[in-house]
Amino acid sequence: MLSFGFFEPVVIFTLLNVTMALGLYITAMSGQLSMATAAIAGVGGYLSGVLTVKFGVPFIPAVIAAMVAGGLVGGMLAVLTAKMRDFILKLTTLAFGEALSVLAFNWDYIGGANSFTGLKLETGLGTCLVAVLFALYVAWRFDGSRLGIAARAVRDDPLAAAAMGISVAALRVITFALGGAIVGMAGAVQAHYVLVISPSDLGFFVSLNYIIFLLFGGMQTMWGPILGAVLLTVLPEALRFAKEYRMIAYGAIIVAVVLWRPDGLVRRIPTGVTKRFMGVTFGRGLATRAPEMPVKAEPAR
Amino acid sequence: MDLFLQQLCNGLVIGSTYAVVALGFALAFSVLRVVHFAHPDIFMVGMFAGLVAANAVPWLALPIALLAGAAGAGLIGYAAERTIIGPLRGRDMLTTLIGTLGLSIVLQNGMALLVGPDPVPFPALLPRKFIDIGPVMLTLRQLADFALSLFLLALVSAFVRLTRTGRATRAIADRPDVAAAFGVDVPRVCQTTIVFASAVAGIAAVSVGTLYGSASAFVGLTYGLKAFTCMLVAGNRYVEGVVAVAFVLGIVEALVTGYVSSSMKDAAAFVVLIGVLYVRPSGLFGSYAT
Repeated sequence: MLSFGFFEPVVIFTLLNVTMALGLYITAMSGQLSMATAAIAGVGGYLSGVLTVKFGVPFIPAVIAAMVAGGLVGGMLAVLTAKMRDFILKLTTLAFGEALSVLAFNWDYIGGANSFTGLKLETGLGTCLVAVLFALYVAWRFDGSRLGIAARAVRDDPLAAAAMGISVAALRVITFALGGAIVGMAGAVQAHYVLVISPSDLGFFVSLNYIIFLLFGGMQTMWGPILGAVLLTVLPEALRFAKEYRMIAYGAIIVAVVLWRPDGLVRRIPTGVTKRFMGVTFGRGLATRAPEMPVKAEPAR
Repeated sequence: MDLFLQQLCNGLVIGSTYAVVALGFALAFSVLRVVHFAHPDIFMVGMFAGLVAANAVPWLALPIALLAGAAGAGLIGYAAERTIIGPLRGRDMLTTLIGTLGLSIVLQNGMALLVGPDPVPFPALLPRKFIDIGPVMLTLRQLADFALSLFLLALVSAFVRLTRTGRATRAIADRPDVAAAFGVDVPRVCQTTIVFASAVAGIAAVSVGTLYGSASAFVGLTYGLKAFTCMLVAGNRYVEGVVAVAFVLGIVEALVTGYVSSSMKDAAAFVVLIGVLYVRPSGLFGSYAT
C-alpha cells in the first residue's frame, strides 16, 4: 500500500478537495455557481454519519445514500433558483448553506453545537483515490457528452441555447444534481476521515474555498479546478515556514493570480487554434469562448 | 411590552450600522458591478485607524478618531480601487469577487498580525451613561451611534440624489456604456464612489468601536454577511430600500434574541433571503440590470 507518512493528511485532503472541485465544476458548467458546496457536503457527511453510527449501516451504502441526498439537494437548489438571474442565484445558495448551518447547530439529534462525533475511521488513501477517480470519470464523460456541450451553451448564452432547443431549466437541474451528488459523496468520505462534523463546516466561508479553487484554476476545463484544488490545498501547507505571514501570502497570491489571469490558470483553447509548448501540440477539443473575446454581453432590455 | 420596546430600540441601533455597511456594498455593486468583499474589512481598518488616533490625541479624541476612521478607510478603499477593483472592472463578477476576497484575507490577517488575533479594548470616546426615554433605557453611546448612522445614511442618500457625481453613479448603474457616451468619466466616478463608501464605513466603524468598547481584526465578518443579505433582499436600485431592510433585519434579530434564542437569529435572515428572492428575484425594491 502506498504511504506518504507525514504528508498523508495533506495528500488525502488534496484528493478530497479535487473531488469537491470537480463536483462544483459540473454544477458551474451550466453557468450556476453554487455557494452551497460545503452545505451539500455537510448534508452528505451528516447523513452518512447518522447512518453508520446510529443505524449501523456499512460504509459503502452510507456513501451511496449521501450521494443520492447530495443529488436531491442540488436538484432542489436548482429548482429553487430557476427564476433568479444568474448572479443572484449564487448568493441565494449562500443563504441556503448558512440556514442549514444554523439548523444543524440547533438540532440536538445530530449533535447540535457540540458537533456530530462517534464516526469510525473508514476512509484511507485508497478510498479517496477511488472517489477522485470516480469524480474524474464522471466529469470527463460529462464534459464530452451532448449534455456537457449543451450545458456550456446554456452558460454562455441561455437565450441562444433555448432557441437551439435546449431546455435550460432541465439542464440546470441535471448539472446541479450531478455536481451535488459528487459533492455529497465527497462529504461522506471526508466525514469518515475527519470523524467530526460541526455545523460551521456547512457555512459560507467553507463553500467559498471551493469556489476559489475553481476560479484560481480556471473553470473552462476540468483541469482548471483540479489544478486549483491541488495548488491551493498544498500552498497553505507549503507556506507554513512563513508562520504568521502565511495567510497574508495566501491572500496576496490569490489576488495576484486574479489580476494576472482573470480567467484562471488553465484556459480552454478555442477550436482551430493550436498551441505549442515544448514541442507538444495542444488545442484539441471544443471551444466555448475565446479568452480574447469580451466576457460579457450587454443585457437585453 | 417594555421588553418589546427595549428590543425594538436595540434593533434600530444595530440595524443602523447594518444599513451603513450595506450601502457601501450596494454602491459598489450597482455602480461598479463588483461584489466588494473587502468592504467590511475596510470598515475594520477604519475602526483601528480611529483607535490609533484616539490614543495618540486623547484630548480631542472623538472628532480626531472619526476623521482618522474616515481617512484610514478611505485610503485603503482608494488603494483597493487602484490595484484590484479598477483593473478588474467589467470582468466577470466572480473574478472581482475573488480579487476582493483575497484582499479581505490580506487585510484581516495583516491587521491580526499588527494587533493580535484577539479583540482589543477601544478607547472610551463617550462616557458610559444611561438615558431613560419613557419605558426604554438606552446608553448614550447607543444614541450617539444611532444619530451618527442616521446622519451618514442621509449623507449617502444626498450624495446619490443631489450631487453631480451621485447622478453620474446612477447613470452608470443603469447603463455604463450610455453614461460614458454622454461624457461621464466612468473610471473617475467609480473611484469616487469606492472612496466615499469606504470613508463613510470608516466613520461608522469608529462609532461601533465606541459602542461596544472593543475592536477586532475579524469584526468585518459579523457585518459583512448581514449587510450583504440586506442588499440582496432590498435590491440595489434604491438606497432607501436597502436602509429600510437593514432596519427591519436589525429589529427582527433583536426581537428573536429577546423572545426566542440568540442562536436562531441568524437563520431568520437567511430564510427571509431565500423566500424573498424566490418571489422577487431582483429584490423587494428592484435592482439594476446586471
